[in-house]
Amino acid sequence: MNTIIDPRHSELVASRHEDLRLVTGQGKYTADWHLPGQLHACMVRSDRAHARLVSVDTAGAIASPGVVTVLTARDVAEAGFHEIPSGMALTGTDGRPQVKSPLPLLAIDRVRFVGQPIAMVIADTAMAARDAAEQVLVDYEELPAVASMPAALAEGAPQLHEAHPGNIGLVFETGDRAAVDAAFAKAARTTTLRVHSQRLIGAPMELRACLAAYDAQRELFTIYTPTQGMLGMRSSLAAVTGLDASRIEVVAQDVGGSFGLRGGPYAEHALVMLAARKLGRPVKWVGSRSEVFTSDWHGRALTIEASVALDADNHILAFRYENEADLGAYSCYWQSMIGTKNISVTMGGVYKVPALYARSTLVYTNTVPVSAYRGAGRPDIAYVIERLMDQAAAEHGLDRVMLRRRNFIPPSDFPYTTANGTVYDCGEFAQVMDKALTLADYAGFAARRQASEAQGRLRGIGFGCYLEASGAGGAPKDAVSALFRDDGLIHLYGVTGPSGQGHETSFAQIVSDGLGVPRQLIRYHASDPGHELMGNGTGGSRSLYGAGSAFKVLVGNLIAQARPHAVRALAATEATLEFRDGAFHAGEHHISLLDLARALRGPSPHPLDCGGESTSGTTFPNGCHVAEVEIDPSTGVTEVSAYTAVDDLGYVVSPQLVQGQVHGGVLQGAGQVFGEHAIYDEESAQLLSGSFMDYVMPRVGWVPNIRTDYHLVPTKLNALGAKGVGESGCSGSLPGLVNAMSDALRRVGVPPMDMPFTPAIVWRALQSAGELKS
Amino acid sequence: MNIELTVNGQARSVQCEERTLLADLLRDSLGLTGTHIGCDTSQCGCCTVHVDGQAVKSCTMLAAQADGCDIVTIEGLAKGERLHAVQQAFSACHGLQCGFCTPGMIMASVDLLKRHPEPTDEQITEGLAGNLCRCTGYVNIVAAVKTAALQINAGASQGARS
Repeated sequence: MNTIIDPRHSELVASRHEDLRLVTGQGKYTADWHLPGQLHACMVRSDRAHARLVSVDTAGAIASPGVVTVLTARDVAEAGFHEIPSGMALTGTDGRPQVKSPLPLLAIDRVRFVGQPIAMVIADTAMAARDAAEQVLVDYEELPAVASMPAALAEGAPQLHEAHPGNIGLVFETGDRAAVDAAFAKAARTTTLRVHSQRLIGAPMELRACLAAYDAQRELFTIYTPTQGMLGMRSSLAAVTGLDASRIEVVAQDVGGSFGLRGGPYAEHALVMLAARKLGRPVKWVGSRSEVFTSDWHGRALTIEASVALDADNHILAFRYENEADLGAYSCYWQSMIGTKNISVTMGGVYKVPALYARSTLVYTNTVPVSAYRGAGRPDIAYVIERLMDQAAAEHGLDRVMLRRRNFIPPSDFPYTTANGTVYDCGEFAQVMDKALTLADYAGFAARRQASEAQGRLRGIGFGCYLEASGAGGAPKDAVSALFRDDGLIHLYGVTGPSGQGHETSFAQIVSDGLGVPRQLIRYHASDPGHELMGNGTGGSRSLYGAGSAFKVLVGNLIAQARPHAVRALAATEATLEFRDGAFHAGEHHISLLDLARALRGPSPHPLDCGGESTSGTTFPNGCHVAEVEIDPSTGVTEVSAYTAVDDLGYVVSPQLVQGQVHGGVLQGAGQVFGEHAIYDEESAQLLSGSFMDYVMPRVGWVPNIRTDYHLVPTKLNALGAKGVGESGCSGSLPGLVNAMSDALRRVGVPPMDMPFTPAIVWRALQSAGELKS
Repeated sequence: MNIELTVNGQARSVQCEERTLLADLLRDSLGLTGTHIGCDTSQCGCCTVHVDGQAVKSCTMLAAQADGCDIVTIEGLAKGERLHAVQQAFSACHGLQCGFCTPGMIMASVDLLKRHPEPTDEQITEGLAGNLCRCTGYVNIVAAVKTAALQINAGASQGARS
C-alpha cells in the first residue's frame, strides 16, 4: 500500500509519501487490479428518460461468445438484495417524515432516467461483455419526461413516482417565517436575487469501477473500488445485500478523485458482489466516461431566491430564501440534505442577521440523481449570500465593503448563535476581508480598470466572504491506531479514505511533529487490519481535523504507554524521565522511541501498539477570495487576471498540501463559473453534455495565478485547532469570480446573470445590453 | 494478430485482436497499468505515452498501428535509479494530488519540453491543453513544467561544460 520510499530516490523525501509511486506509474487504482480467473461486466443502461419496461430479452446476449451470464432485476430479487440506500429522512412542512423513492439495482418495470441500470452482462473479457451488451434487447413503452424543475412542477406535468404527487419529494422549512416577514415589513430597503447553481458532473479522473471476489469458505467478500471511506461503503453494502458488515472487506489503494461522489455504493458494487458469489469467480466492472456521465450522481442543481432586508443604517434585518432542489429521478444518500440543511445551516453567512427563514422544495425530474459534489450546498449558499450583498449594494448605491463591514459578526460576539440556531465558535471576518483586499490591491483597481477600458476591455473586481459548516460526520468519533512492526517503522491506521488529499503525508506529519520522529519513518494506511476502528470517511472537509486530531491524541497516548518501558530500559525513575525530540531522556542516558520499540519486539501485539480517538463536530472554515477579470467584449472571452485567497482554516499541518487544496477548489469553482453545465434536452431528457467533448472541463491556464494566504483563528472544537480546507476553494471562488464578472458586466448595463459565463453567453448578454450597437 | 514493438527498451511480441487499442494493449497485455484510461473520446490525456519519441494519446491509436514502433510509458521514463526531471518536479512542486492524470501529464510535459526547452506560459497552456486534471487547479503543474525546464537546461549546460 505505502511504497516505502526507495532510498535511491532520496530526492523525494521532502515531498509527499504518495508521490514516488504515483509519478512512476506504480499507483494502483481499481482498474489496475487483476484477480486470477476474473470475469468482466458491462452494464446495459436505459437510453430512454422515462418508459415502462415491457421486456428485457437477454437470449442473444447469453448466446454471445464468451458470455457467462446476464443479470436482470429477477436475479436481484432472487438474491434478496435491496435498493441503493437513500439516507436520512427529513421532516417536511406537513410534519411527516419524508418518503423516499430509492434506486433499484436493476430496473424492474420502469426506467426514469437515461443511464439507469437495466442489466449486467458478464463475460470472459471486457470486449466480449461489451459486444454482448449490445445484444440485450430492451422493449420500452415510452412515457413523457420532465428534464427540469420548472417542467416537473408545471401543471399537468408527467409524474415520476406515485408516492410524490406533483413530483415534489418534500417541502422543508427552517427558521422563523413570522420574524422574517416582520423584518421585511419594516425594512428601509430590500433586494431580491434569484440564482441557479447549475447541475454539474463531478468527473473524478479515475472512472468509477469495482471488482468483487467472494471467498465461499470464509463467506467473505472483498471489494476493490474507489471510495471516500471503507466503513461507509461497507455498512451501505451490508444494507443493500443484507449481509453482516463484517462479511465485506473494502480495498481502496489509490483513488483517483472523489469530490463527494464516492461516499457510498452504486448499483454496480452490489451487482458484481452478486455475480461473484453466484459464479464463484471475481467479477470486475470498469465504467466508460460516457456511462459514468449518465450514472455517477450529479451535483449542485439548486435554484435559490434570496432576499435581504436592510434598515436605514444598512444593518441587515433578515435574510429570506425560497429554494428548489433538483433530486433527479430517485432518492440517494446525502441528496435531500443538500438543498435543505446543508444550505440553511450557514444561511446567515458571516453576518449578524436577526431573522432567518428558508423554504425548500425538493423536486423529482427524469435525470441522474443528484448528490454531494465538492461542498454539497455549502458553496451554493456562500455564493448566493455574497451575490446578494453585492446586488444590494449595487441597487441601493452602497459601498460593498462598507455593507459587509457594518454587518460582520464581531469577534467579541463568539460563540455566536445564528437566528436559526447554528453556533459559530470563532472567526475574525473583518480582518480576513481586509487582508484579502489589501493583498489584491483592491484600492488600486480603478487605475487597472481604466487601463483595460482604454484597450476596449471590460474589467471587474469581486470578492466573496464565505463561511461554511464542515461535516459533523456520521460516526460518533474518529479512531486511529499505531502499530509497530519488525521493519522499524511506525505504521498508522485510520478509516478515512484519501483521494488525493495526501493523508499519508499529513497524518505522518502530525505524528512526526508530536513524536520528533522523522516523517519518513512513519507510514499511514487507510485500512483497519484489526476490524476495530471507528470513524468517518472523507467528506465535508473533515478528515484532517477528525482523524488528524485523533492522531494528535494518539501521540500523547503513545508516549504515556512507552514511559514505563523507557523507565526500565534506562534504569531510571519515572520522575527523572523526560520525552523530547523522539527520545526518552534520564540524566545523561537516553533511548530513542524507535530503539525502544526495536528492543521490545516480540510476539505481537507489540507493547507500544496503541490507539487514539477524537470527537470533532462541525467547524466553520471561512475566508475572503478576491477575483479580478477582464472581458474582451468582441468575443465574450474572459481572462482571470488576478486571484487572491485568504482563508481561515484554523491550523495548517502541511502548507503545500493546503495550498494545493485551495488551488483545486478554486479551479473547480472556476469550472462552474466559466464552463461546466450538465444540460438535458427539455423534451427528450437526454443528456446533451454527455462526454468531455461536450461538457466543458476547466483546463490549464483558466486561473493562471492564485495567491494564497491565511488568517488563522484556531478552533477549540478539536485537538488540532483545524477547521478543514477541502471545500473552501469552491465556496470562495463561486462568489469571488461571479461578483467580479457582475462588476464588469453591470457597468455596461448587463442585468444579473447565472453561471456559466461562457464566451458565447457573455457575448450574447453584451449584445443584448447594447454594448456593441455603436 | 501479432504485434512486434519495443516498449520501454524491451522488444515485445504480443497477440491481440485487431480492434485492440494501444492503451488496452499496454495495460492488459503488458501489465503496464501506469498508463491510465480516463475517457472514451480522447479528451483527458491520462493515457499519453511516447510513440517514436512523440507524445500520443494511446487510446487514439490501434495497437496494430504501433507495430514496429518504439513506445515509452511512464514506467520507462526514469533512467534506472534516477527519476526524470519532470517526475521530480511534479512531486517537488506538488503538481499532483490523486495522481490519476499524472502519468499522462508527465509524458505530455516531457514532450512539451523537448519541443520548447524554455516554455512560455502560452506554450505550456497549449502543450497541456489536451490533459485534464480535476484536483490541482493546474497551477502547480505549470510550476512543475517550468521547474523541470530549469533543471533540464542546467543539466544540459553542465553536460556541455564537462
